[in-house]
Amino acid sequence: MTRVLVADDSETILLLMRTRLELAGYEVETAADGQEVTDLLHEGEAGRLPDLLLLDAMMPRKSGIDALRELRAAGVDTPALIISAHQDATDADAPTDLEVSGYLTKPIDFERLLDSIAELTRN
Amino acid sequence: MAVIGVGRFIQQRQDFEDSIARSYQVEMAARVQVAHGTGGKATRAAVTAQANRREELRDQISSDTRDTAILVAAGLIAGLTGALLLFSGLIASMRRPLEELVEASGRLAGGDRSARVEVGGLSETATLGAAFNEMADELEQEASQRDQLDRLKDEFVLTASHELRSPLTSVQGFAELLMLDRDSLTPKQVDTVEIILDNCRHLVHLLNDLLDLARSDAGRLAVTPRPTEVAPLIDDAVRTMRAQTEGASQMLSERIEPGLPLIDVEADRIRQILVNLITNAHEYSPEGASIQVAVRVVDAEVEIAVTDDGPGIPENQLEHIFERFTRGDAGLTQRVGGTGLGLAISKSLVELHGGTIGVESTPGVGSTFSFRLPVSSRAPGAGASPAIAEAS
Repeated sequence: MTRVLVADDSETILLLMRTRLELAGYEVETAADGQEVTDLLHEGEAGRLPDLLLLDAMMPRKSGIDALRELRAAGVDTPALIISAHQDATDADAPTDLEVSGYLTKPIDFERLLDSIAELTRN
Repeated sequence: MAVIGVGRFIQQRQDFEDSIARSYQVEMAARVQVAHGTGGKATRAAVTAQANRREELRDQISSDTRDTAILVAAGLIAGLTGALLLFSGLIASMRRPLEELVEASGRLAGGDRSARVEVGGLSETATLGAAFNEMADELEQEASQRDQLDRLKDEFVLTASHELRSPLTSVQGFAELLMLDRDSLTPKQVDTVEIILDNCRHLVHLLNDLLDLARSDAGRLAVTPRPTEVAPLIDDAVRTMRAQTEGASQMLSERIEPGLPLIDVEADRIRQILVNLITNAHEYSPEGASIQVAVRVVDAEVEIAVTDDGPGIPENQLEHIFERFTRGDAGLTQRVGGTGLGLAISKSLVELHGGTIGVESTPGVGSTFSFRLPVSSRAPGAGASPAIAEAS
């Protein structure tokens, strides 16, 4: 089963994402901030890496961007989608060194999100 | 020098008068002796000598007078020159600070808040300079306070809009979740959820508009223009609005002049303006109204006009129509779902593209909102005019 790791500092958003993604047939893990994302991956073995990262751009302790930067530095090439609360976040804003697969804005357009996930995890 | 000369002249004159008087006294005494026959030959010689002496004295005084006159003239010339120098120095010492004041005032009026003058010169100009500097200080302080307030306001709108998006995501997301399972909901529940979703969309629209305006105010609303074909843009906007206008049995049509040149625009922003204008025409016009989007070239500009045959706009509302939170007739706004920001944003966006926007309306006949955008300087592509296409 395709596994997605979702990181957001809002529990409600995490619940929403989990419900919606599980309904679409994905296995969902959650993290409350970027630190939990990097911890999870450092602890886990290589085989336990999720198939996709869904990271909120702005979180306390460690942002999604910072977490992704650390992961990329550690050689993790898992596709990542960044969710931003900024209205006009576009692919043009993507830090080029991070290999971000796409940007989504809040409120989340779930149809678009599910399309992106399906495309990025199709092997 | 003139004073010394005049002083010397008076002294000499005095001495001369005294000497002449003495000479007469001596001569008179001599003449008395001669008259009494007591004086001899020597006495008569003394009378002649005194006459000669006075002659000498007169010669001397006239030569002294000439010298003195020269001295006085030289003194006067020197004095005048000195006064002139002093005066021109005085004028210069007033003129420089005044010129500096004029120049600094010009810079201050031109928006250079750091314009100050060097305080110096005469006490009057120094006071004027100090007063100017004080005024400039106050202006600068007020301007920086106003800038700070503006920044705080922009920052607040940006942050608020950002912070509101997370809870809005939850509300909209869970309402959508409910609708995924709509078969298990009663019709009343479906209606309720649809109302929640409608209002979520309205809130998002409002947040986006507020953010655009805050950016526009902060000078941070930017567009990335690219040479763009006009017709597909119009088609796109019309397609977006079709469902809504058909829902009100309104006739939405387009009339596009063939062979339009390219325009340098950010396509999404032009679509946003068009959707704003068509939405207004749709919402302010009754059922069955007709709305037309017409595009043509006027004076090297592409003009896009949205015309409706709705109720029109009274003249007193027309002049404020592009101001934010200005909305049409209050009776209608009950059912009109706009934010009151659409036209203000459209105006900012059109101007950001170097274009102009305007409105014409006749109550009872209808309204036309039109905007003009400069034609792209790049070579026309697929949108080439027939004339050029034939020539090439």
